[in-house]
Amino acid sequence: MAHDFREIGKSRPIRDAELKVTGRKVYTDDMTLPNMLYAKVLFSPVAHARIVNIDTSKAEALPGVRAVATYKNVSQVKYNSAVRFIENQLPETERIFDDTVRFVGDRVAAVAAETLEIAEAAVKLIEVEYEELPVLMDVREAAKPDAYPIHEGGNIVGCNEVTAGDLDKGFAEADYIFEDDFQTQFIHQGAMEPHVAIADWNYDDKLTIITPSQDTFGNRVVYGRIFGLPYNKIRIISPAIGGGFGGKIEVTLEVVAAALSKMTRRPVKLTYNRKETMLSTRVRHASVGHFKVGVKKDGHFTAVDINMMTNTGAYASSALNVSGAMSHKVFKVYKIANMHFKNNPVYTNSAISGAMRGYGSPQAFFGLERMFNRVANELGIDQAELQRINLVDPDSLDPCFFHPLGNPQPKDCLEKVLKLINYDEAVKEMEATKNDRYRIGVGVSTGVHGNNCFGAHRDVTTLMIKMNEDGTAILYTGSHDMGCDTVGTQVAIVSEVLGIPTNKIDVVAADSDVCLWHLGDFSSRGTFVVGMAAKNTAEKMKKLLQEQASELLEVPAEEIDLYDDRAWWEKDESKNVSIADVMLHCQRDHARELCVNDSQLADRGPTSYGVHAAKVKVDMETGEVEVLDYAAVHDAGHIINPMGIEGQLQGGIHMGLGYALTEEFKYDEKGNPQTTNLRKFHILKASEMPRLHLGFADSEGEPGGPYGAKSMGESPVVPVAPTIVNAIVNAIGAEINSIPATPDKVLAAIKSKSK
Amino acid sequence: MAEIKFTLNGVERTLDVGPKMTLLRILREVYHLTGTKCGCAMGACGTCTVVMNGEAVRSCLINPKKLDGADVLTIEGLAKDGKLHPIQQAFIDAGAVQCGFCTPGMIMAAKALLDKNPDPSEEEVRKSLDNNLCRCTGYQKIVEAILLAAKRMREE
Repeated sequence: MAHDFREIGKSRPIRDAELKVTGRKVYTDDMTLPNMLYAKVLFSPVAHARIVNIDTSKAEALPGVRAVATYKNVSQVKYNSAVRFIENQLPETERIFDDTVRFVGDRVAAVAAETLEIAEAAVKLIEVEYEELPVLMDVREAAKPDAYPIHEGGNIVGCNEVTAGDLDKGFAEADYIFEDDFQTQFIHQGAMEPHVAIADWNYDDKLTIITPSQDTFGNRVVYGRIFGLPYNKIRIISPAIGGGFGGKIEVTLEVVAAALSKMTRRPVKLTYNRKETMLSTRVRHASVGHFKVGVKKDGHFTAVDINMMTNTGAYASSALNVSGAMSHKVFKVYKIANMHFKNNPVYTNSAISGAMRGYGSPQAFFGLERMFNRVANELGIDQAELQRINLVDPDSLDPCFFHPLGNPQPKDCLEKVLKLINYDEAVKEMEATKNDRYRIGVGVSTGVHGNNCFGAHRDVTTLMIKMNEDGTAILYTGSHDMGCDTVGTQVAIVSEVLGIPTNKIDVVAADSDVCLWHLGDFSSRGTFVVGMAAKNTAEKMKKLLQEQASELLEVPAEEIDLYDDRAWWEKDESKNVSIADVMLHCQRDHARELCVNDSQLADRGPTSYGVHAAKVKVDMETGEVEVLDYAAVHDAGHIINPMGIEGQLQGGIHMGLGYALTEEFKYDEKGNPQTTNLRKFHILKASEMPRLHLGFADSEGEPGGPYGAKSMGESPVVPVAPTIVNAIVNAIGAEINSIPATPDKVLAAIKSKSK
Repeated sequence: MAEIKFTLNGVERTLDVGPKMTLLRILREVYHLTGTKCGCAMGACGTCTVVMNGEAVRSCLINPKKLDGADVLTIEGLAKDGKLHPIQQAFIDAGAVQCGFCTPGMIMAAKALLDKNPDPSEEEVRKSLDNNLCRCTGYQKIVEAILLAAKRMREE
């Protein structure tokens, strides 16, 4: 190669940063279509009830109201909002509107009117008579065989179970066995942009939906099933995503806007306010889990048995997807030959659980990493040493399927993170303050996430590149940027391969009529899979450009290199031609357009690792916790954009700290939500963040990733809660087995110990 | 509701709106200045922050009465003659932009801060952002961007 990387490994801001800093990026709610109506939804005030009577006559009579939709006049097809591809079958339990409501915030009816004020007034005029049904909020109650069935067939959605080795043998080999129960809470994704959609069902029976979707093609399958439309009659456009974090993967409010637009044949905008967004979109699954581990005196784990239940809320949605993803991650981290994982997602009368950054890993790793800390303390082995003994090596095999794990570097992460947190000094401080009111605690944890859906279902993205006759290019990508520079990464890769500067490559993204099929922006697949699709597609285009250039330069095509916006003969660089001239030649002399597409099919699923360490200060009298220093080192393979990946890591830690300490989407026992605004749902503020210390593993790269890169999007959230709670536990000397670790909970743990 | 007069991005405006309107809705619905975002409509997220009479305010909390006679600057009024304001440029250069939904509010909060305090400490920057939530960045690069902008503006 005649040159070093031009784009790969260089820090660069997100592609559309100029638009975002000037307020010129157009998000869905910023748009107004001609003749557009505004919609408002009536939500259930009760957690579980049959609708005995619904009277919409007063609403319909209000001047300016154009349609009132209820279960009586819209499609009654049951669907699953998380379906991802055409043959994907998941339990179908949800309807646009149903004659039964199953949680506070379930949709009852909706109005489309000339103005939002009229729609709001009309919704208040709808009279509903409910016959209340038993309310189940606790998965342990809901899972009992005699519990009232929230859906036909009972409340256990299904089961995901995975076994490696021989659990009985593993426990028989153990010197000690420890077990405990752990609990994690519901939280909301909390994207700053509330949910919003504009649906336009026109007179040609074409349904166009503009919405900040992370999964335009998956959503199209759901709309096709509900409304009986072929895919040429459904166009989904995702113009911008003001934060996704998984919450915008599934179909939520769009179906209401589409139903109202079908009734009126006018565009309908439906914007949820913050409370509606928190109540009636998706949350992270709450969980309960029993963790049992067998361990040798020297700290080697011989067996781990995990039995969990996730609270999937009122509808099936992502229940099995998240549960399935959970079931595999815990097997990728430690050299533990005998492991068993089982999870049952269970229906309750709470908000619908769906995808959220980490997708099952935060729940599973909270229990697992808390058990590691417990074992370390029980055995008197340093917690970092216990990690060192058990973490996988780069040549390890998956203990279930005995596939190579690729190039995992958690051990390098561990050594680096200990340096960043100044571990030995921190442990000394912990010792020195162990009888004080203000105690220092240190915690260490590992967490992982994947890079695609390999093993769960097919995972493909196909991209297309078109050359313009002036030598510039357009990339067509089904994926959309949520702020993690997914699309910018694709552009950088295309630029690297074609030698065209990034400002000469523009993008058409996330439009189901224009772009080729893409599985969706989830599973941290943006770099490993979509980035590779960009590389494959660009290499195909490179071949065509080399062929055209070889005619002009009169040298063999395979001896032509592309960089600095020109084609060069490798053997004598005085022979060169601009890409613009190559394209002019192609169009003028051959009447030929250059347009290629290529795919990436994920054929292995590597794991991205992170090891975190925290130093906290705990007030033994109030239970208040201050995180003083937070260190995180991640193995993301060869890094494509250092500044971008730091931003992902910092943001992931912030989200994880909220999960650990302050955030909870809370219900009372009757199913009334308690935290439906951003004052009560405490996302950490700038002044509440600790000092962050970041690092990355030295990696020669992940096999199969573009330039050896792998994911960063989700893994940073995973280790945070156990790291923080381990630090608190080590400071106070008492166990805390549920999050968030609020001052009340910390104080209760301190008091229970002193009894 | 009586007529109100105010200055919006340097232009005198006269308006007659009902008392239920807010500055946020006036910006987005009357003037189609959609750079100012609505994240909660109760002053808890800061995505609607604009500068009014030199102070960062959450425009969803400003009723039309308070607007009479005011001088309002929104994100659309910050770049001059097609050139980005140093705070905008610093947000790009420092990698402070991810999903972008909090970005206009963050930038306007920073504008109000740096107009009053051209050399803030990191702690002062963090405190000044406590009405503005970000779910993407962990604030680190936003804080760095504001400190970078302050430095560049002092050196100008």
